[in-house]
Amino acid sequence: MLPVLRILLRRLGISAVVLVGVSMLIFAIARVIPGDPARIALGPSASAEQVTALRAEMHLDEPLVAQYGHFVSDVLRGDLGQSLYTNRPVTRDIAEFLPATLELVIFAGILMVALGLPLGILAARHRGRWPDHLIRVLTLLTVSAPSFVWAVILMLLFAFYLPLFPVAGRISDIYEIERVTGFLTVDTLLAGNFAAFADALHHLVLPAVALALSGIGQAARLTRANMVETYQKPYIEMAQAYGFFPSRIARSYAFKPSLIPSLTIIGLDFAAMLGNAFLVEAVFAWPGLSRYGVNVILRKDLNAIMGTVLIIALTFLIVNIIVDLLIAFLNPRIRHSTRAAS
Amino acid sequence: MIRSLRIIAANPLSLTGLILVLLVVLAAALAPWIAPFPTHNGAIVDFAYANQAPNARNWMGTDLVGRDIFSRILYAYQISLLLGVVVLAIATPIGTVVGLLAGYLGGWAEAVLMRIVDIFLSIPPLVLAIAVMGVLEPTLTNAMIAVTAMWWPWYARLVYSIARSEREEGYVLAAEVIGAPTAHIAFREILPNCLPAIITKMTLDMGFVIIIASSLSFLGLGVQPPTPDLGSMVAEGARYLPDSWWLTVFPGLAILLAVFGFNLLGDGLRDVLGVDE
Amino acid sequence: MTTKRMLLAAALAAATSLTSPAVAQSVLRLDEVAVGELDPAKASDYADSILMFNIYDTLVLPRQGGPGHDPHLATAWEVDGSSYTFTLRDDVTFQSGNPLRAADVVYSLERMQAMGQGLSYLFSGVTAEAMDEHSVRFTLEEPYAPFVASLVRLPIVDQMLVEENATGDDPWAEAFLSANGAGTGAYTVSSHNPQSETVMAVNDGYFLPINDAAPDQVRLRYGLEAATVRTLLAQGEHDIASQWLPPEVIRALAADGAQLLTESGTGAFYVKLNTTRPPLDDVNCRRALGHAFDYGTAMQMIAITDEISQGSPATGAIPVGMFGANGPEMALSRDMAAAETAMAACPYAPEDWNLEITWIAEVPIEERFALLMQANFAELGISSSIETLPWALFTERVSTPENTPHISQIFVNAVTGDPDTLLYGMYHSSVPGTWQSPEYLDDAAVDAALEAGRVGATDAERAAAYGQLNARLMELAPTIYGFDRQSVFAASDRVRAPALSDPDMAFGLDGMGFSFRLMEMVE
Repeated sequence: MLPVLRILLRRLGISAVVLVGVSMLIFAIARVIPGDPARIALGPSASAEQVTALRAEMHLDEPLVAQYGHFVSDVLRGDLGQSLYTNRPVTRDIAEFLPATLELVIFAGILMVALGLPLGILAARHRGRWPDHLIRVLTLLTVSAPSFVWAVILMLLFAFYLPLFPVAGRISDIYEIERVTGFLTVDTLLAGNFAAFADALHHLVLPAVALALSGIGQAARLTRANMVETYQKPYIEMAQAYGFFPSRIARSYAFKPSLIPSLTIIGLDFAAMLGNAFLVEAVFAWPGLSRYGVNVILRKDLNAIMGTVLIIALTFLIVNIIVDLLIAFLNPRIRHSTRAAS
Repeated sequence: MIRSLRIIAANPLSLTGLILVLLVVLAAALAPWIAPFPTHNGAIVDFAYANQAPNARNWMGTDLVGRDIFSRILYAYQISLLLGVVVLAIATPIGTVVGLLAGYLGGWAEAVLMRIVDIFLSIPPLVLAIAVMGVLEPTLTNAMIAVTAMWWPWYARLVYSIARSEREEGYVLAAEVIGAPTAHIAFREILPNCLPAIITKMTLDMGFVIIIASSLSFLGLGVQPPTPDLGSMVAEGARYLPDSWWLTVFPGLAILLAVFGFNLLGDGLRDVLGVDE
Repeated sequence: MTTKRMLLAAALAAATSLTSPAVAQSVLRLDEVAVGELDPAKASDYADSILMFNIYDTLVLPRQGGPGHDPHLATAWEVDGSSYTFTLRDDVTFQSGNPLRAADVVYSLERMQAMGQGLSYLFSGVTAEAMDEHSVRFTLEEPYAPFVASLVRLPIVDQMLVEENATGDDPWAEAFLSANGAGTGAYTVSSHNPQSETVMAVNDGYFLPINDAAPDQVRLRYGLEAATVRTLLAQGEHDIASQWLPPEVIRALAADGAQLLTESGTGAFYVKLNTTRPPLDDVNCRRALGHAFDYGTAMQMIAITDEISQGSPATGAIPVGMFGANGPEMALSRDMAAAETAMAACPYAPEDWNLEITWIAEVPIEERFALLMQANFAELGISSSIETLPWALFTERVSTPENTPHISQIFVNAVTGDPDTLLYGMYHSSVPGTWQSPEYLDDAAVDAALEAGRVGATDAERAAAYGQLNARLMELAPTIYGFDRQSVFAASDRVRAPALSDPDMAFGLDGMGFSFRLMEMVE
């Protein structure tokens, strides 16, 4: 069997176990919510009989194991129940709100890689000199504030005082874009409306930067550390001894080995961004899944809470599998090995 | 110890970090004596001075019910530091024990424990804390529980990876050969080798715990009023941007300052103790 | 390959049709708290009401600028004891093109009652019957004087369209109506996202003439942050802000030149005391709180400009202007001497009170009232703690008296404009614990007055009953009557809204002022 395929299968197996665990964890969290979900669902004017009836319908009167069974079989059928907050099926809410969050997080992820890696490489090449120190202080600074503080600061500076960017939303009202993927940057292009595409990008900038800042810092710091380590390897010292240009050494010999550990961390940072999106979406009124998640948690909307956390965990697992595969492709030892997965 | 301090002091960045951390700790400890309005951490309103921009009386302005923001930031540091210390004091030992057992014992202990760790790690940390907080009443104690619940797996993973590589080292094999008890090997032989990494991580994590805790209270899931809290101060003030900017900017900078201090210091410690990132 | 190309072509075609230069459309943009509930049988809060009043019509409308009701979908009605016969207009069609029939009215009532949500409780014990194509008779089990007023809460849905979309699992087509309109209203639903935005377009086939200046398109946005609304409005990208903006923000907007629209007379801010839990089970202890509350500072807190405020001083349990209310000259004020006297008669030692003062997380100004009360009551030596409750959790806690907090802060409106819908649900002992009644008051004199108000044959009788009720409620002090509520909306000068700015055009019913067909866009 191809080693990469083996890694994929192994990851999928682990992910399945983890997903079952996550579902149990989520179920456990949801069941200790104080208060009666049926009463909350029906609202203040419902009668005791209505509450009893709904309790039966929601299987709340059955033993916990049976409740978990119902929960899992519903999930497998793609039925996450009804949201008490929007009065719609949770799957429909998630389908509607998830693309907005993913678009934001992916864009922030791109920023993280596009700015974080070069900064790290730059610092490593100039280690011990002023660009290294400057980058070190800057990256430490970016990881030192929660993303909502960056969101507020960016908003104050670049939306209020210097009104360069919009303060909220994903796109201006004037554009009516047909929803195909839910990713506005994609849908606008599908519609061939470049003005709308530019407008959607314009709306993405501030929230994505606020979300990416600490990730940029992390990525830069890690890349630097890994590059510095690689620079101490004999083959690089050899290359230096041969008098290769520093830029060639960095590009051809030092970068790729350093990239592999960075990728792992970037996968983790992606998870952190899915969480931090909760904060950034709140500041920029971004109609995404995270904002939905906060609202349903504040309202103790059981089905929606479970659905949201499950989907976020699933997204995260998928990203990690992709990262693992990428590493497998980049790493010749894994790519060519037949016993790498053992 | 003294040698370490000297090395830290020799690096201007680490020294800055140390000074910032000391400042924050002193501000929190001495809040009742140095706050210009020491009663403003509690149930007090003074509408005559509500929503004032920074001025000679209130250096950082006042909030919407007339309380001095500078005084409240000093008190909020108390809560942040307390939360950080308690969370790390609970999460570190739990994570360390789990990681040691999994890493040293291997076999089914490794499989079971590390899968549990994986489950916790596969929910984005903040989402996990938010979910836990969503279920519990928003109080300081519960915020500590929620953050601890998301924190211990990271220590488990860190210690696990070190313990697993140490397992094959000569000194461990030697101890096994002479028949030392498992607990002795795990805690007396392997654990000391994990300590530099743990200590560095704890210093850096003080900052991150402050970030996570403030994020929870930013979402209204943390400490409740009238207790001052940096995250909820930012959240509440954000409604009044851009007019009343002082409501958000100063508490936001206060978070930045404290976390930056811990990060600079942790960064310096890492160099001193020779720990990899 | 080919499918892909076809899809692309279709997308391009769709985009061109959507972006092709239409005649300059006037757009009105406003915001409310999420969620916007489109199903009229589930409508209960302000955003839902705005949607309902524009997408659906009702048999009657409140009379503008005065008491009483005018026919709307109906042309006239007759009252015979407890039966009300309405004659419908014969020129009304639904947005689907179906004609309006008496059967639609019957269906709308039955759908609301069967679903049992929203304000359906207004119609318990009511049955309806279609007499012929255009007349419908309602029969009430018990006499209910404000029945006609309650009809403003019975939106008429398109039976044929709804039934086409009903399924075995969903007999009332809730899925369809939570995403689509099925009314006769002046605006149709273009798109609806309950968390972010509902877009509506003017209905050219509306049965009444609509002013040319009325907005062609309306975008009702949900859940915008105060700071966002503030900026959008200042930059000319928003037209009417929600009433939930904190006073500082409205003040800042007014200073920037925003106009202030208002709606008043149907509600009040109440601080509710749980009369079943010590120490508030004692009337003197409750009175002490009522006297100690700083009404003057509360008024300062909600003031926006010298002329406009988010409320006016309370004079008792009933807002000024309603049946049985005291005149504006009887404004309540803080009286520490009276508070001390009441405290002396209160059997519980103040330091043992441990009052739980709660505030609703979605209404930031309540936090300030909580802090104000904590400080006010501390002057009497009373200990207390503050707790934030999200709305959903609050409604759950008040369902039993033991779990109901000592002190809850609520904005209550008469949902039909009639005092019965304000007071009965709050104070009648038969009403189960709801968000309106965290007092758990049980008093025979109060019950009697409320019942007399319901059945009173004439306005004078009803006014007398509510006058007695008011006096009794002042004596019992189950509530601190904070202030009479006035909703204030900051708006750009692009819009004129007579029903929200001219008292002679006001409807006296919350949300009705947002009938977009009566607004005018100024370019």
